[in-house]
Order: sequence, then structure tokens, then C-alpha cells
Amino acid sequence: MMQYQNADPVALDELVRRISPPLLRYFSGSRFAGNDAEDMMQDCWMRIHRSRHTYRASEPVMPWIYSIARHTRLDAYRKRRRLAAREVLVAIVPDTLRQDAPEVRDDNFERLVSTLPESQREVLFMLKVTGMSLDEIARATASTVGAVKQKARRAYLTLRRALGKDSKNAG
Amino acid sequence: MQDDARDLDVERQLDAWAAAQSGTQISPEFAAKVRQRLRPSLTPVKPVPSRRTLFLVLLAIFVAVSAVLVAVMNKTGLHMVTPVQLGVVSAILWGGGILFAINLSGQMVPGSRPVIPLWALLSLSGVAAFGGITMLFPWRTSGSFVSEGWPCAAMELALLVPAATIFWLFARRGALFGSAGLGATLNAVAAFLVLVPLQVQCMFQQAPHLLVWHLGTGLLMIGLGALVGNALRGRSVS
Repeated sequence: MMQYQNADPVALDELVRRISPPLLRYFSGSRFAGNDAEDMMQDCWMRIHRSRHTYRASEPVMPWIYSIARHTRLDAYRKRRRLAAREVLVAIVPDTLRQDAPEVRDDNFERLVSTLPESQREVLFMLKVTGMSLDEIARATASTVGAVKQKARRAYLTLRRALGKDSKNAG
Repeated sequence: MQDDARDLDVERQLDAWAAAQSGTQISPEFAAKVRQRLRPSLTPVKPVPSRRTLFLVLLAIFVAVSAVLVAVMNKTGLHMVTPVQLGVVSAILWGGGILFAINLSGQMVPGSRPVIPLWALLSLSGVAAFGGITMLFPWRTSGSFVSEGWPCAAMELALLVPAATIFWLFARRGALFGSAGLGATLNAVAAFLVLVPLQVQCMFQQAPHLLVWHLGTGLLMIGLGALVGNALRGRSVS
């Protein structure tokens, strides 16, 4: 990252190679990403590039990257909502514009995860897929460790209930 | 988390889900496209100073600008308040300025650990200001409440806009993109700054006047800052 800040093109290539796949997963997993995951990732890379001076070597890099990615995702969501709202004014919205519906996939568990609230799914993604710590997730989401724990707990509870593992349901 | 962790089945399925996610790859063409877009502007950059330094610079701006304003404005209000009123109001205004400066310095570095969430900070400072004014200042109004009040509000607006601009000029080095939080924080720190000389200058040291024309105008501007920031959300503000 410091080499990238020093304009090393090899460092840029390496960063794109290493960071892009998890970023694409992050954007693809979002229920409102639709087919725009690659566009969102390009936008995110432009923001990372323009913000590269805000990274400090003494700080962990993943919260920095996912903090920018998170803003990119939220802005894309808002932009999509604005566009959808304008469409409503001129015509009946075709169902294909309704990007907020959970994406149905073959895998049952993945479908379950995709039905979680966005904030809970995001915490699960960062915790399990990127391997970030609770503190790093709190930094990335501009939240507190307690709030992150609570979201993770709720996500686990929802999944456990959905899988029929909840003790109440079992009884 | 411990109860949840015991559920091995959920954990196992989550691990399998995470492992499946790890298989995602990007195409070489896409990676090349990204690199092509970034390379022309790949120049060396100087990292932003530490968050502590950013905060100290913001605090220095706060102190310097408020000191200059106090020096050049008249100090009628200073002679109309008791030491207790002066001490408590100064503590609230300085405390608010310091806390919002800490928050703003955090917004300048993505991925910073938040010290106090913005909503909590706004609530805390609002309650402190409201409580301090209502408990310490007399509840009386004169017949010319509006004619006495609007010049204070106009003065606050006239000073707040350039003060917020000064903070924005500094903050934009790190806080590159507009957001409601950034707009509200910029105006909040500017409002606390402007309220210091206004408190020293104002000759109407009564609770209704201070609540409506001083605090109310500040809150209005914080709300306006949030709206402007929200309208600029995602757009570059640097």
C-alpha cells in the first residue's frame, strides 16, 4: 500500500490483483447490486485511488478499503433508488427494476444469507469471508464493536431459526 | 456470541458459504481495464497526518478564529453574565467544538475507529446546550423579542458560513466525498465556534433569546449542512 502511495505501478497491479476478487464478492453479494457489481467495483477503485493519501501505514488496510467500498455500495444503492423513483413518475415500473428483491440462487444457505438485512449480511461477509476482526469491522462500518457483535448475533439467530435449529422451533 | 458459536451446524454452513465465496475471481480483462484507468493518474501522494494531528489543526483553527472574532467584536455580553454562567456556557461551547473536531478528524481518515457516533454527539451537545441555557439564564422576554433576536441570528449566519468554509477547506484533504454526516459535522463545529464570540457580544442574556436565536439558528444550520451533504452524497467535494 505504501508502494502504491509512492506511485509504484507494480504495487498497483498487485493491489488490483489481490483486492479485486474480495471486493467483487462484496458487491455481488449485495442484494441491490443486480448486475452492477463490476461497475460498483470500478467506481470503488476510482475512489480508492483518489483517497489513497488518506491511508496511513500504521492503520490496518482492510477497514480502510471496506470503508470506501461500503460508501460506494450505499451511494450506488441511493442512485439506483433515485433512478427507480424517476421511472415511477413516467410509467409503471417493470418488475425487472425491482432490484431490492433477494437474489434467488440454487444454494439454500446462500439464499438464506441473502434474505438477511443488508447490515447483518455485511457483517457476516466481513467476519467470515474477509476474515476481519470485530474491531476492524467496526472501523469499516463506522460503528462500535458492540454494535457489530449485536448484528452478528442477530444474523446467527435468524440463520439458526431458519435452519430449524432454534430450540423453540425444535420443541 | 458464545451461544451462537455453539451452534456448530450454522458455523459449518457459514464456513462452507465463505469458502464458496472465495472462489470468485475477476477476469484478466477487467483487471487490465481497472489498471488502465488508474495508471495515468498514478502519482506519488503524501499520506494525511495522524488523526491526532488533524484534530490539533482543527482545534487550532477553532481557537484562532474564535479568538480573532472575540477580539474584533464588542464584549457587551461579557459584562452581563455571572462567572458561573460564563464558565458553564464556555465549557459547553468549547466541549462541543472539541468533540465535533474529534469527529471531523475521524471522518477525514476512512476506516478510523469512531470515538463517539455522530448521532450521540449531536444529542449530547444539544441536551447540554439546552440544559445549560434553561437552568442558568432567566426566563423572561421583552416585547421586542423578534426585533432583538433576528440581528443575532443574522450575525450567526454571516459568521457561520465562512467558518464552515474554512473547516471544509481543511477537511476536504481527507473527507473526499459528500455525506450528511460530513455536512452536519462541518456546520456543527463552525456553529460552536461562532457561538463563542456571539455569546461574548450579545446583550440579551435571557434563556428564550439564547435558545431561539443562538441555539436554534445553530441547529438549523447543522440540519442544513446535513441536507447539503446528503445532496452531494457520493460526489467529490475536494
